[in-house]
Amino acid sequence: MVACIKSAGLIAAFLVMFFPFLTVAEDVDFSVIPAEVHIDNLLPGEAAEFELTIHNKDEIAHNFTITTFPPPEKERREGRAQFPDDNWISFSCPRIEIAANSQANVMATTAIPQEQKWAGRRWETWLGVSAESSDLLSVKLYVRLLVSTSGMRFNAGLVAGIAVAIVLLGYGGYHYFRHRAKHN
Amino acid sequence: MKVVITSILIAIILALAVSLPALAQQNSTITITMTGLSEISISLDKTQWPLGTIASSTEYETSPPIEWCTLTVQGNCNVNTFIVGDDAKWVSDPAAYKWTLSSDGTNGEHIYALWFRISGDTARGYVPITKIQSEFWPYTGGSASSLAPGDTRQFGLRLLAPTYFFSGRQMQTQMTISAVAA
Repeated sequence: MVACIKSAGLIAAFLVMFFPFLTVAEDVDFSVIPAEVHIDNLLPGEAAEFELTIHNKDEIAHNFTITTFPPPEKERREGRAQFPDDNWISFSCPRIEIAANSQANVMATTAIPQEQKWAGRRWETWLGVSAESSDLLSVKLYVRLLVSTSGMRFNAGLVAGIAVAIVLLGYGGYHYFRHRAKHN
Repeated sequence: MKVVITSILIAIILALAVSLPALAQQNSTITITMTGLSEISISLDKTQWPLGTIASSTEYETSPPIEWCTLTVQGNCNVNTFIVGDDAKWVSDPAAYKWTLSSDGTNGEHIYALWFRISGDTARGYVPITKIQSEFWPYTGGSASSLAPGDTRQFGLRLLAPTYFFSGRQMQTQMTISAVAA
């Protein structure tokens, strides 16, 4: 009898309330425009801005948060490397409340440090938009951000070409003036 | 001497006049392209799973097991979807007590496991949900393609309680299903 009571007590001790919420599920319905952004020819030291539009299609207001997420290699577009530093991307409002059946714009800025090593690169990162919720299941929507940089990279061929052109033109000019001087 | 200097100066000016436009071409205008007006959106028709009182080392499944929740692709672009889980935290004091989400589907003391299973996905069956974002649909090795606008996928969840945990504590966790343009 004592053993039975002990067993019952042990079982009772192992019981908990898990996910006890019995409220009606509130599925947050929202969308993000655009789904993909390309920034091309961004020079190191410069910044580019674009807008994300978040549309809250729900009947109540929600808080939305925007964060960056480094995509796994196999999910990135072909030829794209991981974005070096997510701190180069900033948002006008990383957290924004949007009223029911309304939309809001969030300005995203991508700024590349002014270092020659960041020229001529092709990167990808994702911008994640999610609605704050205490539900078991939540949704996050990613915007693909594809950034290509350009810049004055050292072009050995071009520099050599310029040097040869200077020598040839100088040589030609010298002979031309000498020839004209002789005739005079 | 005067002729030499004049010649070199003219040569430099001519060479720069030709080369500067070539150099300038590398500093072209920044272009920002927003692919059409692509809109990304997915929805879930259930977001809560009230389990009530549970026992240690016991498995629980949603009802119906694999058609419990429907994911619908809205918007106007094809998407790839992912899932990620998190530790279950004590509602009264999240910093004081938690159940760690298993990384391989096995349970332990204060360690619980979660799986999902998509209806019709006989190749994978139940797939562990971990704290590292993993493929929901499509998945590596499968023949399935990304989900198009209007497509739906039904799925269910399974939970394996820890082998031991502190009783009488209300626990809560969150899973995130995410989507990106395919």
